[in-house]
Amino acid sequence: MSGVTLAVLVSWGVVTGVDLVSFLQAMVARPLVAATVAGAILGDPGAGVLVGMGLELFALEVLPVGGARYPDYGPAATAASVVAAGGGSEALGLGVVVGLAVAHLGEWTVVVLRRRNTLRVREAATGLDAGDLHTIQRVQLGGIARDAVRALALTLGGIGLAMAVRRWPPVQGRAALLLLAVLVGIGLATAAMNGKRLAQGRSGAAWLAVGVTGGIAWLALR
Amino acid sequence: MAGPSVIAFVRAGLRLLTVQACFNHERMIGVGVGYATEPLLRALPDGVGGDRYRAAMGRATQYFNAHPYMVGLAAGALARAEHDNVPGPQVERLRTALVSPLGALGDRLVWAGTLPVASAVGLALSTDTRAGLGAVAMLGVYNVPHLVLRVWGLLAGWRHGTRVGRALANPLLHAALRVVGPAAALAIGFAIPLVAAHLVGGFDLTIWTGSAAGIALAVGVLRWLAPTLGAVRLGLLAAAVVALGSAW
Repeated sequence: MSGVTLAVLVSWGVVTGVDLVSFLQAMVARPLVAATVAGAILGDPGAGVLVGMGLELFALEVLPVGGARYPDYGPAATAASVVAAGGGSEALGLGVVVGLAVAHLGEWTVVVLRRRNTLRVREAATGLDAGDLHTIQRVQLGGIARDAVRALALTLGGIGLAMAVRRWPPVQGRAALLLLAVLVGIGLATAAMNGKRLAQGRSGAAWLAVGVTGGIAWLALR
Repeated sequence: MAGPSVIAFVRAGLRLLTVQACFNHERMIGVGVGYATEPLLRALPDGVGGDRYRAAMGRATQYFNAHPYMVGLAAGALARAEHDNVPGPQVERLRTALVSPLGALGDRLVWAGTLPVASAVGLALSTDTRAGLGAVAMLGVYNVPHLVLRVWGLLAGWRHGTRVGRALANPLLHAALRVVGPAAALAIGFAIPLVAAHLVGGFDLTIWTGSAAGIALAVGVLRWLAPTLGAVRLGLLAAAVVALGSAW
């Protein structure tokens, strides 16, 4: 990977990390989007799409209501693409594992960030209560800066882990394919269980079943 | 009453995109609401730095939490109340009263509706050979309602002020609430077989058995044995078992 590619990739990881909560929330942080773009940056958009699909199934579990904790899939999907790009089917399962690990670490970094924000708000309480615009601006824009630093650290750590896994893959050959299969199975079940609860009452299972039937019919007829 | 200019609304709308930037456990997104509301408060009598402006800004940064896309409704309504010279305690009561409905509405409409629908559309279209189609479709399906909701919220909040409850009774909003949940379940159901066929369909029976084992494991663990474990941790544990088994 060239220095320019690495720089663009890291920048993309930061953009996706900040998109999670701090700015825009346009869902470029979703693994399907983040991994597709990261794959394109690495010259293998197809691998990015595939690893992004695997992670997106897991991301369907996330319901970010209130102050809930949730994994950060943007930098994670970027790191996952580093493993998957150019590695064929055997690298996809490992890419998903790296993505899950970084996303899980990302959840912890979001908790740390919120604690930092709380301290900053306490320090600035007098200015905030007095309605001082400069204090409000400093606290608010400082939040974005802190989140960008968090996303940068997570992306760099994730890419480092991805490069290590590429160099010393813990599973290879049939075991790597089996790993992919097991993870896809867990992801599919996760998507189904969470899809079912999105409609109120018992109708969720019915709508899900209608969808699955339609999907199977589509596969059979196309 | 000399209300805020169009530029002020544009500024407030752009600032609303950062409303969660300083999310914290003390005031939640209160500081973000204050920051977003500020351009609308500049037109208060006495102007920036005046007593009413500072008092309104002090109130605007207190505790608030709601769905981020629905915050515009609160920002608009609270700014309008300040312009209408509504007493401070009443503005604070309005602020408190908006937390639950705006949170519940946005969570159901967006997190449990639009987002999973967009995700499922993206997943289904990702099985197409044109790389990137799924991601583009996902962003489109998600962000059109997202941006409409943000802009509508700010303008409707300003229009209704303390009677912002009328905006929440919008029939379109309630029709959308009835549809999005079932649509999300349907779309996810449709995407599941397509994704399964695309990711593991080309392999042999052993690999399919691995996927079946993964499904059984997830249902058994996440539904019955340890629902709080979460799919991410389960996936990592399963990966560790496969890696150890392979090494052994």
